Amino acid sequence: MSITYMLRDWTHYRSTHPSADINKDHPEGYKWAMAIDLDACTGCNACVVACYAENNLPVVGKEKFAHGFAMHWMRIERYWNDEDIETPQHGAQFMPMLCQQCEAAPCETVCPVGATNHTPDGLNSQVYNRCIGSRYCSVNCPYKVRYFNFYNYPEQEHAWPDPLPMQLNPDLTVRTKGVMEKCTFCVQRLYEAKSKARTDGRLVKDGEVTTACAQSCPTGAITFGNLLDPYSKVAKMWRQQRMDLYKDVQDKDRDGNPENIRGYRVLEELRAYPSIIYLERVRDAQA
Amino acid sequence: MGWSGASLTVAGCGFTSIESGVETVESYVQPQDFVVPGIGIYYATTCTQCGGGCGMHGRVREGRVLKMEGNPETPNRGRLCGLGQALVQHHYNPDRLKEPLLRQGGTLQPTTWNNAMALLAEKTKNAGDKFALLTGPLSGHLKVLAQNYVESLGSRNHFIYDPLATKVNRSVSERMYGVAMPCYHIDQAQLVVSFGADFLDTWVSPVHFSSQYADFRKANDSKARGVLVQIEPKMTVTGANADRWIPVRPGTEGALALGLANALLQDPAYAKNVPASVAASVRGYDKTHVGQITGINSEVFDRLLALLRERTPSLVLSGPSAEGHVHGAQNAAAIMLLNFVLGNVGKTITAPARVPFPQMAPADGDTVALNAFNDGLMHGRFETVFMHDVNPVYTAPAFLQLKDNLKKAGFKVLFTHYRDETAEESDLVLPLDSALEDWGTHIAAYQPEGVTITLQQPLMERLYPDGTRSFGGLLLELLKQHRPEEYKQWPDYYSYLQSALTKNKSAFKDPAADDGLFWYQTLSHGVLNVAAPQEQHLSATPGIVNVNLPAASAVDQEFPFQLVPSVRSGFRDGRHANLPWMQETADTMTTIVWDSWVEIHPKTAERLGIREGDILEIASKTGSVKTQAYLFPGLDPDTVAVPLGQGHEAMGRYAKGVGVNPFKLLAPSFENATGELAYYATRVKISKTGDRVTVVKDEGWRPGVLSTQQGRKIVATMAADKVKLFREE
Repeated sequence: MSITYMLRDWTHYRSTHPSADINKDHPEGYKWAMAIDLDACTGCNACVVACYAENNLPVVGKEKFAHGFAMHWMRIERYWNDEDIETPQHGAQFMPMLCQQCEAAPCETVCPVGATNHTPDGLNSQVYNRCIGSRYCSVNCPYKVRYFNFYNYPEQEHAWPDPLPMQLNPDLTVRTKGVMEKCTFCVQRLYEAKSKARTDGRLVKDGEVTTACAQSCPTGAITFGNLLDPYSKVAKMWRQQRMDLYKDVQDKDRDGNPENIRGYRVLEELRAYPSIIYLERVRDAQA
Repeated sequence: MGWSGASLTVAGCGFTSIESGVETVESYVQPQDFVVPGIGIYYATTCTQCGGGCGMHGRVREGRVLKMEGNPETPNRGRLCGLGQALVQHHYNPDRLKEPLLRQGGTLQPTTWNNAMALLAEKTKNAGDKFALLTGPLSGHLKVLAQNYVESLGSRNHFIYDPLATKVNRSVSERMYGVAMPCYHIDQAQLVVSFGADFLDTWVSPVHFSSQYADFRKANDSKARGVLVQIEPKMTVTGANADRWIPVRPGTEGALALGLANALLQDPAYAKNVPASVAASVRGYDKTHVGQITGINSEVFDRLLALLRERTPSLVLSGPSAEGHVHGAQNAAAIMLLNFVLGNVGKTITAPARVPFPQMAPADGDTVALNAFNDGLMHGRFETVFMHDVNPVYTAPAFLQLKDNLKKAGFKVLFTHYRDETAEESDLVLPLDSALEDWGTHIAAYQPEGVTITLQQPLMERLYPDGTRSFGGLLLELLKQHRPEEYKQWPDYYSYLQSALTKNKSAFKDPAADDGLFWYQTLSHGVLNVAAPQEQHLSATPGIVNVNLPAASAVDQEFPFQLVPSVRSGFRDGRHANLPWMQETADTMTTIVWDSWVEIHPKTAERLGIREGDILEIASKTGSVKTQAYLFPGLDPDTVAVPLGQGHEAMGRYAKGVGVNPFKLLAPSFENATGELAYYATRVKISKTGDRVTVVKDEGWRPGVLSTQQGRKIVATMAADKVKLFREE
């Protein structure tokens, strides 16, 4: 490699997410996004199990769980209220936490081999066969939703003794030792739906595809869909909550009166531009 | 060798044309036309993980079932809980029994099905009342066959046992409302006050109630956002979602309910809803008196009262933590009385449709059945015992000494999927098909939308075709041993179900004229709606309700804590402990995995010098267990909670040796009116053993510090009065 080659201006090959134009960033016409209503979420864990079933997540057992090696792409965080910690009279606080599919993902910039990067349909993808296991991405993730295969679960750890492997979803791989993994918004389902739509010469319709977690949720707390489809349920919810994917300070917050609007993004101030909005849980002060 | 040689070689194999030998080639699967390799297809079936009876769609690819989803045509509205999803792990469980086992020389040895069937015939011959059958709750055609079989032997001993039965609730509902299981309309209530009914996670039909709850919480043009108040000694998942969670002294729920009733009945608007005699009977329960009994201060009482006055219609529910006491039926009646006072009966509580086939109607279990069964064993009344869908050696409290009593029966047969604790005590253990390999019909005990019969059908070939059999099919075969003429027309359970349903197809909504089409549609929808089910009416006349609390002196100071044996939705009565997904999924309230724990209030822990992870001994009069302490603020300070479901001594690699079994601690207390085991009436003492472990949990690493958001905006909360409704765009 010559020095002139290295010093050439390569900037036009680089793209910054988010740029000025959401459509230019997502040339296929898809930007997958989610809205999670915390007032509907009961913390029941149906989504967590659905994710294990759909995405071939290994069960690691007590010892490895203690070391922080759990592989749950989706988890329910439980918090107590600071004010009434002695008697939690307003209940507990639940947060279904999964990869936020950030538009400016902190994990992407630190990968030395480009194993994690952005797809044209707005996913933060993880290319397993490119991953070398540096785990920088996991360190840099503010949501702590990246999971590393410290072990060879399928073969050496016998995470699936016979005949459990028959349950494995053939639409995606079983990951091996040394690879980082994370929530993919059930990319295998998206891929299938997109191919089908492409064959028909159209875009995927709202409700045609959903993630395993959204599908199972007993209260319908999770809404998934294409943000670029103005008629999709998820796009309507984002609009209703005055949430803009590409803003790091939302207009509603700038106006200073977010009354009646429950939408927010977790750790928004970090400017990762997550693709998931949460709707604040509601508690009746009169009760 | 040239080209001619190659052709010679081929010819040498015996193939002369492309068609020859075709009869020896068998396709890996012999699929229907609509099966395309690589594309998942969905079959309808019914979830058997709890009594809710949710309809399911199973995704099948290349002959393997992969994933369960909810069926949109059934009351679970296309949704499914975590336990339902984990049904595939029962099916593919590495510890499933694959062959019949017979006790020979003291140990269980493999035997053949022929041998086993011959033994069953021999041991049931002229058995009469020396025969007993113990099963879990049953409905549909399996119930018909089970009852007919017991009858064919001339026995009257069919015991239907459910360790987590809601029998007290059902019997009081029957008395108060006129039906054992009325329909609750959570979605139409403005206020739900639940006395320990964990309807979002473990109570009756959690997925259906969760979907109602989602509507309940949304404001719309005709109603405001619903408010939930939960009153219980230990915070359940439903309590964690309440607008107001009120800890109550265990067992005093009825007194609180009567106090509220009394306060409301001062107002003529409410007094007209109940007879004057009822109003007079609760007069003694004034606020101060109730406060002394329940430990609830007058501010909380007044708030609750104001809510009940303001928000109508409301719905008041009675749950296991109020009912699991010696005076549990009185508590339940006092709580249900509130619905009459508030005028909720007929609005948020309505009559269910009657199941038109009494033989198939659901038979709910209870714990009285376990007592009766145990009594029979103890007095040597049973010679041959069949058990199915139960694990009494694990779930029976220690004081019943069921394990010893079981030895008195000469021949014990267990129909099961695993070699569990009861299998270890049985003489013949017969492996059954998994729920995804078997046929069946189910009528859920709770019927919110008319009457529906849900179908269970195999989603794939048997994993062990020579090893496991269908329980329905076995019952049919056993019936043929005794009544060959009556049953010989059906070669198997499938043909029995098909002919029974097709013959009665006029009972269902819009049946196809053609029998074949009817059956095809039935299987593809997975549900049959009964046409014009009989109406029922609620007989809305509350009687006089008294709550006689045990005298304070009866409380044993040697055992200062009340024990809550809490139910986990992923484990139920312990039958799901062998599902790795359930073990690995963090408990919602504590986030602990792969173990048991004892929840203790931080204040109590501080007083006793207990830190998180200390191994404590929890001892009742009848037993003791040792497990790790977890500081949990959602608890009455004089109560400790140990979750049910763990502590298996057998049952497979994922269950065995994990945690402790609090069933063994339960005191010999029985509910007065029904005779049910009083699960919440056990007193315990706790002591430190000196050992300490790191609690394995998902919530972070700082032991003993209650996890809060540390001031960050992770889970944000908005006050309800700031939320107006959004109309759909």
